[in-house]
Amino acid sequence: MITVLRAPPFATVQDPGRPGHLEAAVPRAGALDPLALAAANLAVGNPRGAAALEWALGGGEVRFERGASVALTGAQVTGTLGGRALEPLRVVRARPGDSLVVERLDRGAWLYIAISGGIDVPPVLGSRSTYLPGGFGGLSGRVLRSGDRLPLGTEATQARLEILPAELGADTSSNPIRLLPGPDRDLIPPGAWDDLVRAEYRVSRVVSRMGYRLEAGSSGLVLAGDRPSAPACIGTLQLPAGGKPIVLLGDGPTVGGYARIGAVVTADLGYFAQRRPGDSVRFRPVELTEARQALREQQALLDRLERGA
Amino acid sequence: MTGYPRVVPLGDSALLAILGEGVGVALSARVGRLAGALRDLAAPGVHGVVPAYAAVAIHFDPLAADSEALGRQVAHLAAAEMAKPAPDATAGGKLHVLPVRYDGPDLAMVADRLRLAPDEVARRHAQLTYRVLFLGFVPGFGYLGPLDSALALPRRPEPRRRVPAGSVAIAGEQTAVYPVETPGGWHLIGHTETVLFDSSREPPNLLAAGDRVRFEPVS
Repeated sequence: MITVLRAPPFATVQDPGRPGHLEAAVPRAGALDPLALAAANLAVGNPRGAAALEWALGGGEVRFERGASVALTGAQVTGTLGGRALEPLRVVRARPGDSLVVERLDRGAWLYIAISGGIDVPPVLGSRSTYLPGGFGGLSGRVLRSGDRLPLGTEATQARLEILPAELGADTSSNPIRLLPGPDRDLIPPGAWDDLVRAEYRVSRVVSRMGYRLEAGSSGLVLAGDRPSAPACIGTLQLPAGGKPIVLLGDGPTVGGYARIGAVVTADLGYFAQRRPGDSVRFRPVELTEARQALREQQALLDRLERGA
Repeated sequence: MTGYPRVVPLGDSALLAILGEGVGVALSARVGRLAGALRDLAAPGVHGVVPAYAAVAIHFDPLAADSEALGRQVAHLAAAEMAKPAPDATAGGKLHVLPVRYDGPDLAMVADRLRLAPDEVARRHAQLTYRVLFLGFVPGFGYLGPLDSALALPRRPEPRRRVPAGSVAIAGEQTAVYPVETPGGWHLIGHTETVLFDSSREPPNLLAAGDRVRFEPVS
């Protein structure tokens, strides 16, 4: 069991999500930075798909009622465990009664806190992920509040790693986000695609687990016409008539009516999601082969962690 | 680029099989039948087959699926669907009657833009029995159509950040009820108390593709 002594402004329980219910219009949900979740889980000896805390927007405090290994990935933080300062990437051991204090998120939007044994809330439709718009999954389908108690599963014998590899602490905030053309790309006038993908964007204040709206720096492209709703996907880059693109994320809709002009590659979804409002976003058009290769490289990294290397 | 079917990628983790364009009961029936055939295929790595008006999305795990082979199978099934006569789209389906208060925040604007009285917008909306063409967007959200073309308006240029659960909305030749609070770009003309999605119910969705829906004005 862990007790949330002081809840951050926004935290939920997330695992990799529930992919099998899209046809009932139930989005996958799940960690917005799947690589960070999987790595943190592997580090503490969990299966990579165990449920963890996805934590954003500020500090908070959690108390451990039993001993546990703890790994923090995703956003970089300043904080302490049992009074000792946290070091980036280092897997730590909480004693019963220890408090994990996150003072602040220094870089990145989403912090993942994996705890040995995983967070053992009841699965809904095959996943422990919180889906806020539907009000289910996680702890009663809602964000965590001060005073909440979360059950932990049985922990494996020991943590797999003492320290996570440096790749997981790298600053990705200026990486170009790799983009595939979307099925409605032909709606854009010739030449406009290049302008559109080369423009510099900023993450707007309209951000949620469903998606981020971007502020167009210069593009100003306005699409004429309106289309019947059509299938969409996590990563889909939509261009509403207002000209401010939207990138759909884990809680995003299974269909939508805005033109689907692009798609963020799966391997870069986490890097994109870690941007905060006001952060710069640049895209780089790629081919499918590069998108797949990037994902295989991430998978190879996780396979290495699973072997304890 | 103009012929159908077309099979195109939707990012690196999904394919689209597109059978036509626009909104129509006959096209939806074809799309639904193709979705069934794709589910029966049970291809490795595929975790979702999602029909919409004119296309089916096939969602897969890019590390587990062979997307080239999958693309060929999807193209084959889509071509086979187009070679068949269209399915009978007039057959029954469960009827749901949803009570609606036509007092949505966009009703006056919608009436103004359509050059109709607000009561006339409500009357026309409640006059037809709609088909649930497919489910999508968020849990419980059924795309209902076709709408009286006199009520067709493009979506809002930017979505609202919050649409309350129970909002009855129109956009283009479609109408729907927002089952949960979500951002949304449709025009809100009314509100219903009927619960369309409940994760503790089995099945959680009130509506299923192929059902029929009628709106009953209440004051």
